[in-house]
Amino acid sequence: MSAGFPMSDDELETELRRAVELFDPVPSHLMQAAVEAYTLRTLDAELAELVFDSLSGSSQVRGERQPRVLTFQGVGLTVDLEVTVTATGGRVVGQLMPPRPVEVEVLGGRPVTLTADDLGRFIYDEVPAGPFSLRCRLGDATVVTEWITV
Amino acid sequence: MDRDSIGILFRAAVDTDDAAAWKSLVEGLSPLVWSVVRAHGLRDADAQEVYQTTWFRLAQNLTRIREPDKVGAWLASTARNECVKVIRAARRVSPSGDPEMFDRAADDRTPEQAVIDSEDAARERERARATWQAFQELGESCQRLLRLLTASPPFSYQEVSATLGIAVGSIGPIRQRCLRRLRVLLGRRGFQ
Repeated sequence: MSAGFPMSDDELETELRRAVELFDPVPSHLMQAAVEAYTLRTLDAELAELVFDSLSGSSQVRGERQPRVLTFQGVGLTVDLEVTVTATGGRVVGQLMPPRPVEVEVLGGRPVTLTADDLGRFIYDEVPAGPFSLRCRLGDATVVTEWITV
Repeated sequence: MDRDSIGILFRAAVDTDDAAAWKSLVEGLSPLVWSVVRAHGLRDADAQEVYQTTWFRLAQNLTRIREPDKVGAWLASTARNECVKVIRAARRVSPSGDPEMFDRAADDRTPEQAVIDSEDAARERERARATWQAFQELGESCQRLLRLLTASPPFSYQEVSATLGIAVGSIGPIRQRCLRRLRVLLGRRGFQ
């Protein structure tokens, strides 16, 4: 640590590493949120995997302000979402397949419980930016979608 | 944090429901996730969101990870994918970092700060501050590369190459150039 300048490249890199740790540390409230993610995880839930995302590599749809389209695939349930980001927050339009009028819990910045209509559709307005996931209860099974960033 | 201890902690978190092991994993690998996010030049709010999504995803996918000692690589690639999506969603990216980044250490008192009492330590801190400020003056591509190279635990050149889209063989020469530039900027601040 007492090495003066000029230093070797490796020493300078070490010095920079120390400076980064001091001046841009991981914010402690974020680490706390990551720690809590473990206790909050739903152990008995089926994971609905993200199988399509229009923001992903080759499937990217070009063009201004196209809604983002996502598909989550779980056992016995598919969740399609269309996400539109506006100045005041996001709007999520969802569709459960097969359609069923069940409760849909929104996890993330502003937790809320919605109910899908008879055709399996639901709408959620003013979605805050940040991590987003849905939890659906289907009889005795629970399905959770993989987290995304809205 | 080396690969072996990462693997051990990860197995404990998956197999024995060990919350303390998970916490150690979060503490040990958070700087790595943070450097990936910073290397993409995301503004503060986006950086924080991607960091959280990345860890939430790992918590969801615990039982699906086949190679526990590679969980660092899993986190890095998940964070990378999320960064790319946030950027594609046309959200604002600030290449040179937020002004907040300068001040965070001042209002968010870390344990390190408490140690820094003596004059020696104050001088160390001055130099670290000068290094940090000089770093902020570097071009965007240098900042991104150096964020990855100073990550802890460190990235391999292959991982750096995958993250930044530059050839493995170019990393060494670019690193050298960026560090030379950093040295010049430090010189201007009176640190010769």
